[in-house]
Amino acid sequence: MSETILAVDDDIDILELIQMSLEAEGFDVITANDGMSGLEKARTHSPDLILLDLMMPVMDGFEVIGKLKADEQTRAIPVIMLTARAQTHERVQGLHAGADDYVTKPFDLDELTARIEAVLGRTLPTKYINPLISTMGDWFTEEGVEQLASHLEAAAMIQQNLIPKQAPNVPGFDIAGFLRSSMTVSGDFYDFIPLDNNRLGIAIADVRGKGIPAALLMVMIRTILRLICREETSPAAALKRINDLLAIDTDPDLFATMVYGILDSAAKTFTYSSAGHCYPLHLKNGGTEVDELKEGGMLLGTFGHAVFESETIPLAPGDELLLYTDGVTEAERKSDETFYGEERLAAILESNSHQPAETFCQTIETALFDFSGTDHRDDDVTIVVIKATDGKE
Amino acid sequence: MFETSISHNDVPILRIDGKIIGGAANALKREMDKQIEQGRGGLVLDMARVPLLDSSALGIIIATLQFLKKMNAKLVLLNPQHTVLDVLQVTRLNTILEVYSDEESATSAFGS
Repeated sequence: MSETILAVDDDIDILELIQMSLEAEGFDVITANDGMSGLEKARTHSPDLILLDLMMPVMDGFEVIGKLKADEQTRAIPVIMLTARAQTHERVQGLHAGADDYVTKPFDLDELTARIEAVLGRTLPTKYINPLISTMGDWFTEEGVEQLASHLEAAAMIQQNLIPKQAPNVPGFDIAGFLRSSMTVSGDFYDFIPLDNNRLGIAIADVRGKGIPAALLMVMIRTILRLICREETSPAAALKRINDLLAIDTDPDLFATMVYGILDSAAKTFTYSSAGHCYPLHLKNGGTEVDELKEGGMLLGTFGHAVFESETIPLAPGDELLLYTDGVTEAERKSDETFYGEERLAAILESNSHQPAETFCQTIETALFDFSGTDHRDDDVTIVVIKATDGKE
Repeated sequence: MFETSISHNDVPILRIDGKIIGGAANALKREMDKQIEQGRGGLVLDMARVPLLDSSALGIIIATLQFLKKMNAKLVLLNPQHTVLDVLQVTRLNTILEVYSDEESATSAFGS
């Protein structure tokens, strides 16, 4: 995701210059040529940074900063002032008012870019924390940030401990799981739950949003699943119970998608149901064909009346199941705004069927890196691979 | 990125232009709330120029849909692109969201 810069200046030529040069640096740029519309656009576009001319008619830059900092919604957006070279006391006044940095006019474009990048580097971490403001309310103060960081770290630890440390040993199958979160506390999880001698519960889920709210919902879902999975014989029934419990308690815009399946190592079958989750892929027929597993129902947590269906598929030796979250298929190549996509994933599944499950997880991770050209992910990446082996190791 | 018009049978149509990702989801919510406050019994979202929406956008659409349902009002989609339709299909939201391919049927879905 490229950062959005809002440039506010009454000089249209300067605005155009800023827009052209910053877009060339890969930023999204929106412009406003007076203080009033600058404020309005700060509210509607939630930019990552504001470049603000101090000397403007009607509403000057100081008034704009004052209003930005008084508004909950825009308070955290960093501001770089554009000032005339001579006005030292104005720069000081601006910094006191809450600006993060200044650049003097006429400015050097390289310097401007460097300042923007420095300020964004400083402020992006708090941008990630901002979604928490609504949950934590008055907790969020300047002094609270440090405390919050330690809480986040603790939460991340708890969450990491909930992810299986190693894949289960199931005769005739080779299983692996992989999770790489895009930030400290994430919304994805996967789980392996032994149900009896032959049956293993396998779950993968993606909770909407990020940070603590997503992590809390993730913990709820995982806990409910673990409590009920031995009582409910079908994955559809398990998902329905999770959904009905969540739908009572959670806000309608908080939801999760999930696949829950039961691997039966004696019957060599996988019975699954998908709650609005991206379709698992099934490599079959000696590695020549890839099926999407579509059976299931609505995403979890919003609609109390949702119905779910299960499906059982046979797993022949050489078959492979790939469960994943959309962080995989939506890994983005910024240069042409293309997503990795399901087709590429299906192709890599077909061409790497010889690899052990754990190696294959790494192969996907490497492919995402090669595709996007970066290590940065906007979303968590979670993968579960289940391979039916021929029983001989 | 938003533009509103009112159809001849008094249904507000919100035209969205561009991806609804990240902060744009909140902007969408504010626009939808503005229209809902007018109390016209529902809202048509014209998605023809939306190439992509993320899960925040989905969450806000779901929340608005649920809210309108409680008020006996409707939220319908007009002309979503196939990428958006795919998301609706995978999440099964297509089973509860009405989707139309022309404005006339979208606005007459409101029955007045």
